[in-house]
Amino acid sequence: MKKTEVCLTVNGVTHHLGLSPNALLLNVLRDELGLTGAKYGCGTGQCGLCTVLVNGRAVLSCLTLAVAVDGADIVTVEGLSRPDGSLDPIQEAFLDHGAIQCGYCTPAMVITAKDLLNRNAHPTEPEIREQIEGTLCRCTGYLSIVRAIKSCGDRAGAPAPRPSPMKKSR
Amino acid sequence: MNTRILKAEFDYFAPASIGEALALIAQNGPTARFIAGGTDLLVQMKLETVAPGCLISLMKISELSVLKREKGFLRIGAAVTWDRILAFGSEDRSYPALDDAVRCLGKVQVRRMGTIGGNLCTASPAADSAPALLVYDSRVRLVSARGRRTLLLDKYFLGVQQTARAADEIMTEIRIPAPRPDVGGAFQKLARVGADISKISCAVAVERKGRVCVSCRVAMGAVAPVPLMIRGVPEFLQEKTVTASLLVTAGRMISDEIRPITDVRSTAEYRKQVAGVLFRDVFQKAWTRAGGEP
Ligand SMILES: Cc1cc2nc3c(=O)[nH]c(=O)nc-3n(C[C@H](O)[C@H](O)[C@H](O)COP(=O)(O)OP(=O)(O)OC[C@H]3O[C@@H](n4cnc5c(N)ncnc54)[C@H](O)[C@@H]3O)c2cc1C
Repeated sequence: MKKTEVCLTVNGVTHHLGLSPNALLLNVLRDELGLTGAKYGCGTGQCGLCTVLVNGRAVLSCLTLAVAVDGADIVTVEGLSRPDGSLDPIQEAFLDHGAIQCGYCTPAMVITAKDLLNRNAHPTEPEIREQIEGTLCRCTGYLSIVRAIKSCGDRAGAPAPRPSPMKKSR
Repeated sequence: MNTRILKAEFDYFAPASIGEALALIAQNGPTARFIAGGTDLLVQMKLETVAPGCLISLMKISELSVLKREKGFLRIGAAVTWDRILAFGSEDRSYPALDDAVRCLGKVQVRRMGTIGGNLCTASPAADSAPALLVYDSRVRLVSARGRRTLLLDKYFLGVQQTARAADEIMTEIRIPAPRPDVGGAFQKLARVGADISKISCAVAVERKGRVCVSCRVAMGAVAPVPLMIRGVPEFLQEKTVTASLLVTAGRMISDEIRPITDVRSTAEYRKQVAGVLFRDVFQKAWTRAGGEP
């Protein structure tokens, strides 16, 4: 199979890689770049443990061809902390609320939360629950995970006023 | 089965125009396939149920990502992802049945990746966009080297994952006529958890005048080899005053009309039992909305 050059900016660092079309983003991150935060869980999209941000949107890296995201900006859990090693507020919140047990889902859970917080600084509990619906935690620490994400939104300042959803339905 | 890697080898192209994509599908022979978000196709390739020799991505073709209202209809490009349709639906409440469907389709990650065209081209009997698009009388536009054509969605599904689309045809867009005033719509699916594939689903669009059902359209998912347009009930309800007992009868008619199977998600018996109840719930929601309520 012919290799093509693929350019990926991962956590701010640009890589030029020679990849086969069948290389999956998850395996490129883990095996070529040594970023083992994103996990292999089911390989078919059910568990969400391979979630990373591609151009700011949470996607399943186990169902993403690396060639298809040529030129993209990718963020994994390793890219959330600041250069001095201090953690992102969402990571701090997970620690504060004991939202981590075995840790296997944590990188995906944090990235999934980040996808929400980037668009909506003050998510409600139902919005948080909907967001993490496809990222499975088998220790079932969901309650503390929801609390951690909620606290992060609360900490971001007073909730912004919400537009009224009272539009006429047809 | 190793789902960690993609074992199959294939060539990959990401053309920027429909012309280039059509040339590539012609050049690369019968095992070439189009790919959009990959949420169906890459799973099938991992499970080795398909083995394309060449993948032609449609995600760089701008024509396939239109999402806009034109006079009389809404145009949704085949490569538009669910999250864009969801955002559109929260601004424009003209198609609440579609909006309901997209809200419970997959989960965040799948809504960021998967496309409406991919859903209709895979053509699973459980495809969640299909019942809503059917009740709104949608059309699909296809293009190949032989030219362009438009098909009623109702004529498009032929069997389990079988459609009227030829292998070298690209679905370019879905066109949904603007509903008449006083039409309300709703969709609901039953699944193990929200993010799961439907055991059964139902969409209703109903035109209401006071307590009279002027006309209605009903479609169901996962109850037949294709997403199914229900034929008997719309005729039965037409120009009738809607009462609880009328809807119970309509629900029974639906249980009789559908031809579900038993599979990993549910049994034929359960699907028949629940179909009438689901219909009543969805009809009620659409009916209330037709009355101008949320
Ligand atoms: C975890 C998970 C959850 C899911 N949940 C749901 C759900 O709740 N409801 C539901 O209905 N589906 C669900 N799906 C299925 C899938 O996500 C949807 O069907 C999705 O819309 C497919 O779109 P895609 O762009 O990813 O398709 P792809 O996988 O890229 O393509 C699917 C098929 O269509 C063809 N194709 C795609 N676009 C075109 C085009 N424009 N012209 C011609 N051919 C084309 C491809 O060749 C391929 O055969 C789920 C999938 C996963 C992995």
